[in-house]
Amino acid sequence: MKCFSRYLPYIFRPPSTILSSSCHTEADIISTVEFNATGELLATGDKGGRVVVFQREQESKNQPQRRGEYNVYSTFQSHEPEFDYLKSLEIEEKINKIRWLPQHNAAYFLLSTNDKTVKLWKISERDKRPEGYNLKDEDGRIRDPATITTLRVPVLRPMDLMVEATARRVYSNAHTYHINSISVNSDYETFMSTDDLRINLWNLEITNKSFNIVDIKPANMEELTEVITAAEFHPNQCNTFVYSSSKGSIRLCDMRASALCDNHSKFFEEPEDPSNRSFFSEIISSISDVKFSHNGRYLMTRDYLTVKVWDLNMESKPLETYQVHDYLRSKLCSLYENDCIFDKFECVWNGSDSVIMTGSYNNFFRMFDRNTKRDVTLEASRENSKPRAILKPRKVCLGGKRRKDEISVDSLDFSKKILHTAWHPSENIIAVAATNNLYIFQDKVN
Amino acid sequence: MEYKVEAHRIMSISLGKIYNSRVQRGGIKLHKNLLVSLVLRSARQVYLSDYYGGVCVRSPHAGGVEWGEGDQMDSDGSRSTPDEHGGESALVSDDSVRIPEVSVNGPAAAVEGQDIEDLAPGSDYNCQQSPQEDVGSVKTEGSGSAETGGPGSGSEHCVSRSENSQQGSAEVTATCCTRKRGAERSASAGSPVKRPKATAVPALPPVGGEGEGPEDMDTGNVSSLITIFGSSFSGLLSKEGAQPATDSEDSDSGKICCEQMLPNLNPWSTAIVAF
Repeated sequence: MKCFSRYLPYIFRPPSTILSSSCHTEADIISTVEFNATGELLATGDKGGRVVVFQREQESKNQPQRRGEYNVYSTFQSHEPEFDYLKSLEIEEKINKIRWLPQHNAAYFLLSTNDKTVKLWKISERDKRPEGYNLKDEDGRIRDPATITTLRVPVLRPMDLMVEATARRVYSNAHTYHINSISVNSDYETFMSTDDLRINLWNLEITNKSFNIVDIKPANMEELTEVITAAEFHPNQCNTFVYSSSKGSIRLCDMRASALCDNHSKFFEEPEDPSNRSFFSEIISSISDVKFSHNGRYLMTRDYLTVKVWDLNMESKPLETYQVHDYLRSKLCSLYENDCIFDKFECVWNGSDSVIMTGSYNNFFRMFDRNTKRDVTLEASRENSKPRAILKPRKVCLGGKRRKDEISVDSLDFSKKILHTAWHPSENIIAVAATNNLYIFQDKVN
Repeated sequence: MEYKVEAHRIMSISLGKIYNSRVQRGGIKLHKNLLVSLVLRSARQVYLSDYYGGVCVRSPHAGGVEWGEGDQMDSDGSRSTPDEHGGESALVSDDSVRIPEVSVNGPAAAVEGQDIEDLAPGSDYNCQQSPQEDVGSVKTEGSGSAETGGPGSGSEHCVSRSENSQQGSAEVTATCCTRKRGAERSASAGSPVKRPKATAVPALPPVGGEGEGPEDMDTGNVSSLITIFGSSFSGLLSKEGAQPATDSEDSDSGKICCEQMLPNLNPWSTAIVAF
């Protein structure tokens, strides 16, 4: 397995924060990270409703070792806080998810969502501007028509590159509950948005209509036992999608079967191990993220303590189960008290589906190689990461004698959690969001 | 008895979380509140399962207090708490817990109390393992808490369920457990069910007052619990004379209402058992 070594000297902070990372504002906490389909762009969303897009530098022959660093390309305010007057509820502007659309022309498109509204943003470059208007001068002041003696045709002249983001579509008023996922269909015409109880299918062009394809709301809310936690379209079958539940099950649905996909085609669930039963069994079995592999043959799910890889053809149990931080199993009560047990970790595949990655506490993140069965724990921290430094594997000691470089479970900092990570679609470049900092790591240059 | 202390602590924490969720920005998060209410329910059942130790014969599968998976609740190691006696005691004590928001159901509570006494001799019936899944408890829950104006219908429903159900006391347990949980759930789900309930609750005490003697005994407790479940806990705190809860006091508020509630269970349930 490739070791993540070369550290790109990139710690990103939005300009508004103070330099010291210990006093960041709540609004700067990164809430989602996503590469686009080519890996050229990397988008992050934060709790303040902003989206920051990074673009990879073109490789230059002069400095081959600075291969493709990511620089800020565009920053815009995607969502603002809103107020629902009917329910007296404030709607947070936090960006829950960003999903890129495939590129068809010079502009880039992405979907971003908060709890209630999905927006389609167009990010385009402008490097020319028209000059030589007749009715206004270069400063923009209106000219007195009486002073105009000749007419000229405005010409386009080069200007400094400007990247602008415009909201092209706003898909609103379709969700009663909080949106937790969006997923673009492989047909590139539709996408779905998922809240706790319903999944809606949209056409990218149409904002005033959406189709409800899954509805698990019981007739009487008192009978509610599970909610939808995540959903995703199959990467190449445009009729197939999966959604995960708070009970630890995954349902695969085929939209060709019926208009309302309440009846699943496949049901993936692993029976619970009775020896692990506790007050918190339900909470830790709730699935926080579900991702198809790039080849569409496997499914990966993340619950609180494990990552599981499922074969789409085997519903009875996962193909592989990886323990992310099993040492927390004895600490569930404290984690319940400090709310950490509700943290929703995401998981990602690498481009070839051979390695999976997910985050943990203390700014640790874990990678599991499915082929060699080796795993590594790495830390995203300023102190440990100098430019060009090699990331050292970390180890958590479970008790007993603590070796020199190990960290004991009780010393873990639970306020430093890595919930969101992203892996470049084809190269070994990863983006790791640690609270308000974004780390981009790259594999050794060969 | 460490598990009892632990369960009590978890209940306080859970109540604090539910309270906090009402005031946090962005509205009530359905998923988190669902999970918290599951934990609260489990902890409560464990806590109350031993409250009246020895009331009923222990069942071989002592896991009925759970959602119904039949596994033994095991948060602090093995637990020897019998299940269906736990179910019964939970039922009994639930009556008192339920009083405030269910004073409409006061008569129903009394009827159910009677049912328990009737059922007790049929120990086989009671000693069965807990129901299949959520379905059992969920259904009763739906019926139980949905009705606010029909105590008679509620009680009939409970009676018929307990008679017809294969699932024995656990089902009846679920029925009564649903009341309190219904309050929490409606609070946490933020569904429209919540508002009518909340407004209905304060109007109930006078109605409930005409009920049984045991109910009258706890009017003080009733009103405090009404304020707990009817009005986002701030009423409780003002009753306490404390300042409105800040974020740091969420667990305290949970503890306060827990501690107010639980000690008063004893005299109430004693009355019911005697009755």
